Amino acid sequence: MEEALPVGLAGPKSAGPAGVTRLRVAMAATARRYGGSLLVWAVLAVLVALPVGAFLLQGFTPRLFGQGSSWFTLSPVGQAFQGQAFIALWNSIWVSFAVCALDLVVGGAVAWLSMRTDVPGRRIWPGLMWGLLLVPSYLIAEGWQYLLEPKGVTYQLGMYSPFLYHTFFSPVGVVFVLALVNAPFCYLTMSAALGGLGSQFEEAVRVHGGGRLATVRVVVPVLAPAVLSSMAIVFAETMSDYGVSSTLAFQSHFQMATYGIFEAINNLPANFGVAGVLSILLLASAAVPLAVQARVTRGRSYAVLSGRTRTAGRYRLARPAKLLLGAMAASFFLLALGAPAFGAFLGSFVQNLGAPDGPQRFTLGAYREVLSGSIAYGHSVQEGASGLLGPVIFSTELSAITAVATAVIGLAVARLLVARRPGRFTKAGDFLLLGSVALPGIVLGAGYIFAFNLPVASRLGIDLYEKVPLLVMGYLATSLPTQSRIMVGQVAQVHGSLLEAARVHGAGAFSAWRSAYVPVVSRVLVLAWLVTFTKTFFELPISELLYPPGHETVSVAINNWLSNYHYDIGTAMTVVALLANFAVIALVLGAFRLFAPAGWRRMGGWQAVG
Amino acid sequence: MLANKSTSASGREKAALVLAAGVATLGTGAAGLLAGGSAAQAATSSVVPLVVYSAQGYDSTETTAFQKATGIPVELDDNSTGPLLTKIEAERDNPKWGLLWVDGATAFALLDQQHLLMRGFEPDVSWNALGKSAVPADHSYVPTGVTMAGTLVYDSKTLSDPPASWAALLNKKWYGEVGMNDPAVSGPTYPFVAGMMQHLGGVPAGEKYFEALAKNGLHVYLTNGDTLAALEAGIIKVALVQSSAGIGAGLKTHGAIKTKFLDPVTALLSAIGIDAKAPKAEQLEAEKFVQFVLSPAGQKLMKSGDPTGDSLYWPVVKGVNALPALLVRTGRVHQPLHLGLSGGRGQHLVHRQHRRVSSH
Repeated sequence: MEEALPVGLAGPKSAGPAGVTRLRVAMAATARRYGGSLLVWAVLAVLVALPVGAFLLQGFTPRLFGQGSSWFTLSPVGQAFQGQAFIALWNSIWVSFAVCALDLVVGGAVAWLSMRTDVPGRRIWPGLMWGLLLVPSYLIAEGWQYLLEPKGVTYQLGMYSPFLYHTFFSPVGVVFVLALVNAPFCYLTMSAALGGLGSQFEEAVRVHGGGRLATVRVVVPVLAPAVLSSMAIVFAETMSDYGVSSTLAFQSHFQMATYGIFEAINNLPANFGVAGVLSILLLASAAVPLAVQARVTRGRSYAVLSGRTRTAGRYRLARPAKLLLGAMAASFFLLALGAPAFGAFLGSFVQNLGAPDGPQRFTLGAYREVLSGSIAYGHSVQEGASGLLGPVIFSTELSAITAVATAVIGLAVARLLVARRPGRFTKAGDFLLLGSVALPGIVLGAGYIFAFNLPVASRLGIDLYEKVPLLVMGYLATSLPTQSRIMVGQVAQVHGSLLEAARVHGAGAFSAWRSAYVPVVSRVLVLAWLVTFTKTFFELPISELLYPPGHETVSVAINNWLSNYHYDIGTAMTVVALLANFAVIALVLGAFRLFAPAGWRRMGGWQAVG
Repeated sequence: MLANKSTSASGREKAALVLAAGVATLGTGAAGLLAGGSAAQAATSSVVPLVVYSAQGYDSTETTAFQKATGIPVELDDNSTGPLLTKIEAERDNPKWGLLWVDGATAFALLDQQHLLMRGFEPDVSWNALGKSAVPADHSYVPTGVTMAGTLVYDSKTLSDPPASWAALLNKKWYGEVGMNDPAVSGPTYPFVAGMMQHLGGVPAGEKYFEALAKNGLHVYLTNGDTLAALEAGIIKVALVQSSAGIGAGLKTHGAIKTKFLDPVTALLSAIGIDAKAPKAEQLEAEKFVQFVLSPAGQKLMKSGDPTGDSLYWPVVKGVNALPALLVRTGRVHQPLHLGLSGGRGQHLVHRQHRRVSSH
């Protein structure tokens, strides 16, 4: 680029060599100043804006991607509102608000208890939150169903309650399960912020004679970015949930927005137009939490992590308070993890699972079949390198690559998002990112086919569809928006003085960044890596649409077993995949503890990392 | 091609060792992936990979054997019917599939209406009576077997007197006890609803029937598996699902779960359609694949590939018997689905009907 410029500009003699030099200097300065952010937004445009845009356009210009004859039509809008679109959208919105409120209380309380008090059990909570993050939402719904249904576990124990059963199969149950599923997002964001806060603010209030109320009034506003960030992410994640909306909500005759989209896409023939219109509404809903966030945080600084930040002390709780709070937290985990564990894990050991009158006994048969690869039924699992290991290793590789890219790009995005005076570009980017979190995976998957399977690209020899790189790009598009939002809470706290101090002491730009910035964000980076790894490992809708034929991912393989009614092998494979996932998490956490300098592990970030 | 595949596999095995040793996998993993990605390009120009989109339980057995017998490399996309049709619709401008193998003639009829299927291919086989009745006039798809849509499945240990007719399901006795799949999601349920409309004399009568069924507390689930799970959990007493799912559940429960055919029951075709826009070489390979599936060797594999699921089908070629679990049921009266109703305008009406069913 720089080589080409003088040729075009050297013509008019009036500009002269000095003019050219000035222009070059100005351009170089602009590139230095905006080049990085432009690059980041360009990456996001390709990964997210292009496919989402391609899908949304289906609502108005079906002919653009060969889906109809008209270049412009509004008929999908009319069709979308013939059904129950508004009711479904309204249901999704109020459920998302209810879940936000519940999770702020539950996730925030667990985060505060584990970071700032000596309540018993606090050391294992982060691990349990991880466990919860691993479990897909439909599994939690099904686990509870398994407990409460007419022939379920409570029935076997003589404790069946029609009231509980009918309450669960209602909007109450939907809010309950979604609040359990999304609590980790709130916990992770809040605990990262609480960890970085230190206790100096509380001490300052006390020194000035302030009581507990005054402390709350000082500390809560400092936590505002984390609170709002977690609200936004929980809201968008709840809006986009498909696992509960297609199982518990659907069976309770409670329509939610994502199911409407799914139904339109799965219609024969697929009605991408209606799905596009519904997606626009879902995307627009993300504006609600963003507007709240913009109003609260406008122009303020929340940077509290500087060279003077000290480690926070812990409150010593009285014995009764310890027991009460500990028991409350324990009961939360029992509700969230106990039920699905019962359903999925125990089920995998039972022969004839789901057959009420067959001889049921505990067996390891399903595991033997899964691990040996000598499964009697024809299925592509057999084609893997060695039985089950094919899909597991394939998914491990893809998830690791996705997680590395997400951590790096996500950090860059988070830095752009926390700008104190965001430009229009940043605001639009923020809206797009959160909006894309609110869209179900099937929209991104189909959008990827529209945007990256163009005939013109094929003619040029660029065939990305059903190839590994496009699948990874799809995974990145689902993980980046969520992860960059989670990182915002932490990144907003990093004070610019840290880098300046390093430069004052003679460090170069890179060296200052490495020695003063990376340590502070290292834990949140590890956290982002782990969350992305896990979520990608079990991602289904995008995998189903984009996986390269012949190379099943774990989620596709499990889904195929379950949908062909081989529950025992399907659940056994789920457990094996979960164990493989836990092994990778343990490996990464172990490596961080062993190799990261002690200071990295103390600064900022999330308590359990390291 | 095969050599390339093994390179890819060994790359991944290497990655597994590296993982086990606790070292980062990225480099090796990426190498393995790239090897996998380049496999297709290595094929010679005359032999292109045959891309098979299939939802059948026996598809892997069949494609592996076909690749071994002919040397034609097969790339199998094994998925549920829903995602496969979504992909085909979304890639309409630039299709990547070679052949589609799923249940439900309605799906094929709709793809044919959109000119997405190659017409006129007749495999060299002797059809039995069932097969003859299933072959479409324009030869846009090839039947490979028949199951029944919307059979009545119940637990014989808790229910001794299941409903004996479609009308009986509307009786108050069965209030809240009946479950079926969502016809907008479940492949085999779509022809079931269309078949009921055909049987009752038209769409308005069909709508009236399903509205009455919904008012009688009908439960609607996503797929066969979900509806059967609800039956087994005791939430419902009667499940209206595909015959292979019901009979398969009976085999797994040593006969406790029974499948009853109400009169009439709608025939559900499993079929193969070939992509109209695929390269000629791939279309020829797809024709060879169809021929292989319908050969005695291919039929044997279809019957052994998924013995408690999709292998429970009634064959469409002469000289092939159904599995023993089905033998007692041959000769039952069933109605073929006239696609004039279920395709085109009919499908729209079915979808409308679905909205009414699921909104209750």
